[in-house]
Amino acid sequence: MSHRTLLIAFPKGRLGDELVPKLAGTPLALDAEALKSRVLRIPTATPNVAALLLKGADLPRYVAAGVAQLGIVGSDTLDEMDMDLLELADLGFGACRLSLCAQEGVTLEALRAKPHLRLATKFPKATEAWLGREGLTAELVPLSSSAELAPLLGLADAIVDLVQTGGTLKAHGLVETAVLGRSSARLVAARGAYLSEPGRIRPLADLLLGALKARV
Amino acid sequence: MPVRTPHFPDLLFGPAARLRKWEGALMGLLEDHGYRELHPSLVLRESLPDGTLRFFDGDELVALRWDFTVALAGLLARGFPTPPARVAYAGAVFRRPVQPWEAVERFEVGCERIQPEGEPSAEADLELARLLMAIPGVLGLKSAILHLGHAALVRRPLEAEGLFGDLADAVVAALSRRAPHRVKEALDGHPSAGRLTAHAEALLSELNGPTTLEALQASPYADLLKDERDHMDRALKALLPILPPNLELRVDLADVAGLGFYTGPTLRLWAPGAQQELAAGGRYDRLFPGLGRPWQAAGFCVRLSRLLDLADTRPDLFESPQ
Repeated sequence: MSHRTLLIAFPKGRLGDELVPKLAGTPLALDAEALKSRVLRIPTATPNVAALLLKGADLPRYVAAGVAQLGIVGSDTLDEMDMDLLELADLGFGACRLSLCAQEGVTLEALRAKPHLRLATKFPKATEAWLGREGLTAELVPLSSSAELAPLLGLADAIVDLVQTGGTLKAHGLVETAVLGRSSARLVAARGAYLSEPGRIRPLADLLLGALKARV
Repeated sequence: MPVRTPHFPDLLFGPAARLRKWEGALMGLLEDHGYRELHPSLVLRESLPDGTLRFFDGDELVALRWDFTVALAGLLARGFPTPPARVAYAGAVFRRPVQPWEAVERFEVGCERIQPEGEPSAEADLELARLLMAIPGVLGLKSAILHLGHAALVRRPLEAEGLFGDLADAVVAALSRRAPHRVKEALDGHPSAGRLTAHAEALLSELNGPTTLEALQASPYADLLKDERDHMDRALKALLPILPPNLELRVDLADVAGLGFYTGPTLRLWAPGAQQELAAGGRYDRLFPGLGRPWQAAGFCVRLSRLLDLADTRPDLFESPQ
């Protein structure tokens, strides 16, 4: 790979599903044929700019290490990982809440009153920060997906997870009992690339912001 | 048996020779400008913060030298009634890495300019900037960028607003990420939120050339920061005419790295495309008073380990084959 090729890390999954259609028809549209394949490095409509498709949890590491010069990732992931990278803009889309969710009928007060509270989450850092603010302690059960099952099957009393429409919660008989924070997509940049080559990276960031703004 | 490689770099022939050559050339440059070498011990018996590599020497907990500036400050404060004006150092420091790709053992060359408190310091700051400007040439870098910042641009507005502790840390972290929206989030509901967010936007608005200083005019703290702005303006006027070829001078108003340590102008040297700064420094006038000595100081450190990595991964950035 040439040093002159600029790489943007795009997220797979929920955020990626929102992002890719927004880029269609813009200078950063992803190559449709490559998208249909299993290839994870996708050319864009702009020469010498390619996209990497990465899992959200891996994406900040690629940007922080400077492998990708720019990236788009949820602020929830950024807050959990605390990597050394720049966060150039709040892109607004992909908005969701980080919420404490329990089975219908279980209140926040009932959870507070538990002598040994167990919370399943893939957001331990945000959960610990909230517990600290609330003066609570809990056993954290680390999960990487399908957290909604945990309260139903007795693995935990409640979960801390991202809620966008609430549809998945409802399907599992869960309700939000507290909102811990909010998340949205952020444009991130590699510190070194941005500070040492602003003439290359800033125009690309502006191009990406312009492409997304045109589709909001 | 450990299966994960600890990041203590073994330097084989090429990098070892390069380290020796660069260390010699940089120490020669510093010596030519009146800097005399001090070599603080590799083992420190005081100041053992998190991140140091500690071990027991008999019953005593000690640490490997983790920072030259701190080690030198202890040595100077203990042993010198008046400070030597110019000090240089070379060697390794040992720190637990924050990022997984960072080395534990890091090779550095650096210098310090020390004066009694109250002496004019502007000329000393310029002297250090001029020295740093010569370093890309000494190292054979094809091109480089020198960032000029000032720690007071962030510290003074925070102090003026009475912002300390966690909230101030959150604002600094947001600025470090160059994220004015995070400044706004952190200060939500605070009386200073509007002013400090506008200040953050002014600091982050530009990163190219002498006109960057004009961005400060848009800050609500423009008057408060007039001295700092004038200081940076004078520095630019003094440095731009003597800028070596292939070195670019930029103003970075939002440089907050090491804000707890630096008190005045800051300097950072980059190569285009490098992932990490290659040298960094600035004025840190609170260090010696904290050790009971009425001295002020500034200095910089060249991160030779990062340069060795760069020579390995990006040889195209250097003049001669590395």
